[in-house]
Amino acid sequence: MTKTVDPHILAMAQRPALPPRETQLKILYYMKVVRELENRIERKLYRQGKILGGVYVGRGQEAIAVGSCIDLRADDVVCPSHRDMGAFLIRGMSLRTIFAQYMGRKTGATKGKDSNMHMGSLEHNLIAFISMLGDNVPVAAGIGLSFKMRGQDRVVVCSFGDGATSRGDWHEGLNMASVLKCPVVFICNNNQYAYSTPLERQMAVENVADRAPAYGMPGEIVDGNDVIAVWNASQRAIDYARSGNGPSLIECKTFRMTGHSAHDDASYVPQELFEYWETRDPIRRLERTLVQQNMLSDAVIAEMEKGINAEIDEAIAIAEKDPYPEPEDCLRDVYFEEQ
Amino acid sequence: MAETKVIMPQMGESIFEGTLTKWLKKPGDKVERDEALFEISTDKVDSEIPSPAAGILQEVLVKEGQTVQINTVVAIIGDGSAKTSSKPAPEEKTEAAPSAAQPASVPPAVAAAAEPPTPEAESGRVPNSPLVRRIAKEHGIDLDALAGKGTGINGRVTKADILAFVESGGEKGGTKKTATPAPAPIAFTGEVERVAMTPMRKSIAEHMMASRRTSAHVTTFFEVDCSRIMKGREKLKAEFERAGVHLTITPFFVQAVVRALRKFPIVNASLDGDTIVYKRDINIGIAVSLDGGLIVPVVRNAAEKNLQGLAHAINDLGERARTKKLLPEEVKDGTFTITNPGVYGALTGTPIINQPQLAIMGMGGIKKRAVVIDDAIAIRPIIVLSLSFDHRLIDGALADQFMAEVQQQLESWQG
Amino acid sequence: MALTTYVEAIRQGISEEMERDDNVFVLGEDVGIYGGAFKATAGLLEKFGETRVIDTPISESAIVGAAIGAALMGLRPIAEMQFADFISCAFDQIVNFAAKCRYRWGAGIPIVVRAPSGGGIHGGPFHSQNPEMHFVHTPGLKVVCPSTAYDAKGLLKAAIRDPDPVIFFEHKFLYRWPRAKEELPSDDYIVPIGKAALRRTGSEISIVTYGAMVYVALDAATELAKEGIDVEVLDLRSLLPFDKEAVLESVKKTNKVILLHEDTRTGGFAGELAALISEEAFDYLDGPIRRITAPDTPVPFSPPMEEFFLPKISDVLRVTRELHAY
Repeated sequence: MTKTVDPHILAMAQRPALPPRETQLKILYYMKVVRELENRIERKLYRQGKILGGVYVGRGQEAIAVGSCIDLRADDVVCPSHRDMGAFLIRGMSLRTIFAQYMGRKTGATKGKDSNMHMGSLEHNLIAFISMLGDNVPVAAGIGLSFKMRGQDRVVVCSFGDGATSRGDWHEGLNMASVLKCPVVFICNNNQYAYSTPLERQMAVENVADRAPAYGMPGEIVDGNDVIAVWNASQRAIDYARSGNGPSLIECKTFRMTGHSAHDDASYVPQELFEYWETRDPIRRLERTLVQQNMLSDAVIAEMEKGINAEIDEAIAIAEKDPYPEPEDCLRDVYFEEQ
Repeated sequence: MAETKVIMPQMGESIFEGTLTKWLKKPGDKVERDEALFEISTDKVDSEIPSPAAGILQEVLVKEGQTVQINTVVAIIGDGSAKTSSKPAPEEKTEAAPSAAQPASVPPAVAAAAEPPTPEAESGRVPNSPLVRRIAKEHGIDLDALAGKGTGINGRVTKADILAFVESGGEKGGTKKTATPAPAPIAFTGEVERVAMTPMRKSIAEHMMASRRTSAHVTTFFEVDCSRIMKGREKLKAEFERAGVHLTITPFFVQAVVRALRKFPIVNASLDGDTIVYKRDINIGIAVSLDGGLIVPVVRNAAEKNLQGLAHAINDLGERARTKKLLPEEVKDGTFTITNPGVYGALTGTPIINQPQLAIMGMGGIKKRAVVIDDAIAIRPIIVLSLSFDHRLIDGALADQFMAEVQQQLESWQG
Repeated sequence: MALTTYVEAIRQGISEEMERDDNVFVLGEDVGIYGGAFKATAGLLEKFGETRVIDTPISESAIVGAAIGAALMGLRPIAEMQFADFISCAFDQIVNFAAKCRYRWGAGIPIVVRAPSGGGIHGGPFHSQNPEMHFVHTPGLKVVCPSTAYDAKGLLKAAIRDPDPVIFFEHKFLYRWPRAKEELPSDDYIVPIGKAALRRTGSEISIVTYGAMVYVALDAATELAKEGIDVEVLDLRSLLPFDKEAVLESVKKTNKVILLHEDTRTGGFAGELAALISEEAFDYLDGPIRRITAPDTPVPFSPPMEEFFLPKISDVLRVTRELHAY
């Protein structure tokens, strides 16, 4: 069953397929920050015992969060998942806050109450997800519902992986958003593995996007390692939602270039897959394209990397010295406290 | 730059140890921050570990192939000023993982209504509720005296009982508490002066009546020849005096009673409802006359004392009884009482049993009398001993056997 | 002024709050056109329109999740679970999302989840449960259980205005029961969350209870008064937070306490109170703490079994007499 294409969609399709150079450089910058930031977290700080608990990075998937969030308005809302570090940075969370969060310091995003990227900030319109992945989907529907109720043209971008789409909440939330026509853009980061479970053991359909018609919304599949393609599809879906047409589902095909977490060596993944997807690295692809189009040079790249490393070094140096929370802080903020 | 400790990291939440498989640097080598320093292997992953700091690898504490717990210091990085050395780390014992809990078998659904709890009477005592204990403590009330006499189940002392007791100003000697209406005052002819009873007097009055109502009082009488013990007293007096103990004749009687109680333990017992309570300890109460009343300090564990010990205890208690310096525990827990009706010259007496004991012995005055021994007349110091006993438990025959033993002990005293 | 039923009081509470604050809205199954399975939201769709009275698909988890999302954006949603039994379908969103947001990242979730609970209506295992303890056991939530029309309205208003998530258990047996009807004030009023109400003062035995059992306790007290046993009845009204001072004060006064609830025995609120009383009023107890609860079974359907299951006046009379005689 095909949905009649809204004239708005046709108009959107006539948008330029490429963002302006400014935006492309910004996109590259953010992807590179995410890559280096996550390297430091997983390959250095964690192995030095400076980060405790679980660490989950989105190596190789940087294009998805960055491409989908780069052109949102400040009053739009993002509901990220655990491999969307780019979303946090684009929305304005500082490197220092992120490192402090991972190291359990008082200055971290949750003041030590929660770990790794369980971060949120109402001020930045960033919703903290919980470990029950997929729970953010109905919440995103509710956020979109509030925009509708108030007659606001804000949208909410809600991200999740392939595994989360097996959860009941995912299905309930998509259905609810569709029935109530909430302005949500659902982004699936299909990196083809949920821990050790490959896609074919996760679902009986070939594509996550195949489910979109079941919930009465447009679905689209994009190359998740082509950040421009992600940007393009996201922009159209964002405009679609903003214009009052309701939710849509974008499935970004990508690959998880790490284990599920820092302590998983992903030995269950065939080595050929790593090799194949390594050649499709989203950051190098964009660099190549930009250099080919004379929008970038190796010198500028080197300069960018130098700057990124300096930023990150500084953030780590400060965060490392930040204090831990007081033990009794455990008792605070369970309920509303008069200030 | 200070020294930096390099630790074995935790590569995963459920990982608690790691094996150091290869050192990529040796002591004395220069190390950059984040430069690969050593390799490890864990249950989940093999990994290259970067250096947390820049400097000189000063000391290596864990050998290749060694398995240590997470957070163990494996090396020290210094600034090059200290001497480098390689020390083997102490053997690390890894903790055994806790065994999986056995699932408990689930009992069938518990009915909502359980058996109603009743106060258990163990060893004759119904436990007092926390509230009752608190009120008793606040008012200095001895709950033992009220034990089993409350209006609750099994005689439990209830809140109402203890509050009523407090109200009535009671101290020792509990009674079955119900507020009985005061009897109408008796009309006496002639001039009368009405004086209220003191609390001690009231207490004694209640105790005497209660005892009469509780026990089946019978008294038996024995004449005892005291010549042997009086000779013994003469012999030991000086020696005891040197030890600071004034020797009267009373300790000899206490000693004889203790020996007899050993032979006839039922006389040392109590009756609680339908249960006979035999007591291991022999605690002899010695009645002391006071102004307007009496008090019965107790020689505890009399069986463990020799004659001198008994004499000392009796003197000390008597002295402190008269000077009102007795402690509360010194008038408690008696198992047998000795009283002295003869002190003012009486021949003998029929004492009232000191509850919850089963017998009390009265000592008459010692008088020289003409007695018949081997068909000849002799002069001997004679005392009449009386034993009032509780016929609920002690029959006449046993009471007499007991007293015969006391007599025998006294008349054949050797030490 | 006429007597208002418990369910009408709830309806009034919702309506008045929706008038007072544009951010308040209702969502749930059959709440709009149908006016709610128990008519608790009757007339609201007509009055406030479909933007603010939303009929949802059968998706308890998404209903609560959407409420959470809307609350994050500053709205004040009232989510209805058609029967409290179905709240378990939304358990994850309630205890893992709503209850922990403020603690983790300072984001308060001012939602109300309304849930018709309790038995006595031949509802069987899935329409009669009292699931409050799952939520009393979750820090970050508030749990209330009104027993009268006045309290239902006042506590609902307090819940709607509360900055934290409140689970509102309305006892369905009381919805239209004549004895729960009351005359309500015409002005705005709230009943504060966390405060108990002394329904009957007494000097000898305290019965601490909540929900429909309040009436069972009161009827028993009337009967026992004829035997000269003076019973005090304390209605908790809120379970999280609960009025610890009122409970201890009552126990310290009477020195004998019975804990009564319709919920099953093990893990029920009576156990929590018994531990508290033992810890903080031990020296005031003149008898063992007694509990009267449903047995540890699902709620049976057939009338003789349901009658056996539900605590009733004969249970209260028996246990009170036993405790009195102790």
